[in-house]
Amino acid sequence: MSEDWLTGPVLEQLNSGVLVVNEQLQLVYLNSFLQRHSSVQLSDVKGKSLFQVFTDVPEAWLRRKFASVLELQSPSFSSWEQRQYIIKLPHLRPVTSSSQYMAQNCTMLPLNDPEGRRYVCLLIEDATDAFVYQQHLQSTLQKLELSNRIDGLTQALNRRYWEEQLKLEVQRAQRYQQPLSLLLFDLDKFKQLNDQYGHLGGDCVLIELTARVRVLLRDTDWFGRYGGEEFGIVLTNTALAGALEVAERVCLAVNSTAVTFHDQSIATSVSIGVAQLDAVGDRAHEVLIGQADIALYNAKRDGRNRVVVFSAGETEFLLKAN
Amino acid sequence: MSTVFSEEQRDCLQELINVAMGLASDKLARFLNTFVHLQVPAIELVNSAQIPAQFEARYSHTEAALVSQGFLGNDGLRGEAIVLYQLDNAHRIAALLGYDTDSASELEMLTDISSILTTTFLNGLADQIDNSLSYSAPRVLSSRQNNVSEALQETAFHWELALKVDISYQLVDHSFNCDMLLLIPGEAVLNIQKILDRILEEY
Repeated sequence: MSEDWLTGPVLEQLNSGVLVVNEQLQLVYLNSFLQRHSSVQLSDVKGKSLFQVFTDVPEAWLRRKFASVLELQSPSFSSWEQRQYIIKLPHLRPVTSSSQYMAQNCTMLPLNDPEGRRYVCLLIEDATDAFVYQQHLQSTLQKLELSNRIDGLTQALNRRYWEEQLKLEVQRAQRYQQPLSLLLFDLDKFKQLNDQYGHLGGDCVLIELTARVRVLLRDTDWFGRYGGEEFGIVLTNTALAGALEVAERVCLAVNSTAVTFHDQSIATSVSIGVAQLDAVGDRAHEVLIGQADIALYNAKRDGRNRVVVFSAGETEFLLKAN
Repeated sequence: MSTVFSEEQRDCLQELINVAMGLASDKLARFLNTFVHLQVPAIELVNSAQIPAQFEARYSHTEAALVSQGFLGNDGLRGEAIVLYQLDNAHRIAALLGYDTDSASELEMLTDISSILTTTFLNGLADQIDNSLSYSAPRVLSSRQNNVSEALQETAFHWELALKVDISYQLVDHSFNCDMLLLIPGEAVLNIQKILDRILEEY
């Protein structure tokens, strides 16, 4: 018994597009799926050039593909991951997809009729679901990457990411012989503040402080939370004089206005240590942090709410003291 | 029956592959409008566990690409073809295929080249044994960002036997080298042996 009667109905009800062209790339066949999606009737377009009917297909590319199928008599493929679609068609998920057009996996197959005439069959599978999942995955990965580098409370960079950037910027500054400065600062008397206003009060001050500092910085600076109440700012292409100016502004921005927490005014201040990169070698970033830390220590020792610049003499003093 | 090929079977397979290469080079030459010289490919049957180590040395210092394509025929013939090549090589043949690097993405170019090489060669092989193959879409397993041997390790793991075919295409003014690996699962190896025995009987 012949099963020829099956082919027609199956082809017509297939949930994939089937298109056949002859060697001149004139349309020979379109199944219902393609006719419905593209709003053309086979009877209207039969014998017309493929490129005349589907005017927005990438013609040069598709000609090359079809030529290889005809000449080599071997299949050719196109994936939505590299080319989202060949023929612009609407898909049936208008609500859930961000894309307007059907993502397509396409196969181009060589066909020969009993008289030996050559054809190419283009099979178009709807890959919109995979496309949508892929997009969700991408955006989730992006969010994940962001949250991986951000400190959740203050939205400043977290320590690990900030230190990575410091290291890279130090290398860059050394390579291009540009100045680079580092600010390390501490919120003064944070423990006392936590005891007096509770941890929520402390958190509120940290968030407000971060917001005030951020607006003072350039896009090229790296602002991170180094520890509990300790922050760091990497100032690229900035020498000591410029860094000192930024530090003074940070100091003032924090101290000039009290932070409001549950109708209470919390007066705050920061102590800032400033150092400019002068060390060389692989550990230069660690030396720089050490120097800024010494300056920060001195700022606290000298009575807080102030900026102190690192100077080489201080190191010796501290080393001796230790 | 074992998955080890006898000497006759091996010779027969080498002969089939030589002819398939000849057919492939003829088709490629017509398609590319240039003279294509294919050296007689060296084939080697290897335990797939050894593959990552074998290729690591050759591809570790350059940017390499690795593209996989599954094939399936009658009589239980099936497997996965992997084409490995150095990326600067790929750009040479891409130019010949009429790609300018702007219009097509690198990945698209890689899958196209690999698919053409794989399917013309395997179709030639299938023709000789009265078989015909269908293919899955080619997939890039690794390109510049990934490690070749890692990608191979993940793939080769699933297969018992690998037929390693060293292919060297030489085109006028260009030369293009790549490796093709045919990874074949155990029961398909037995089926290939049956096919080879059938051919040997006919002579």
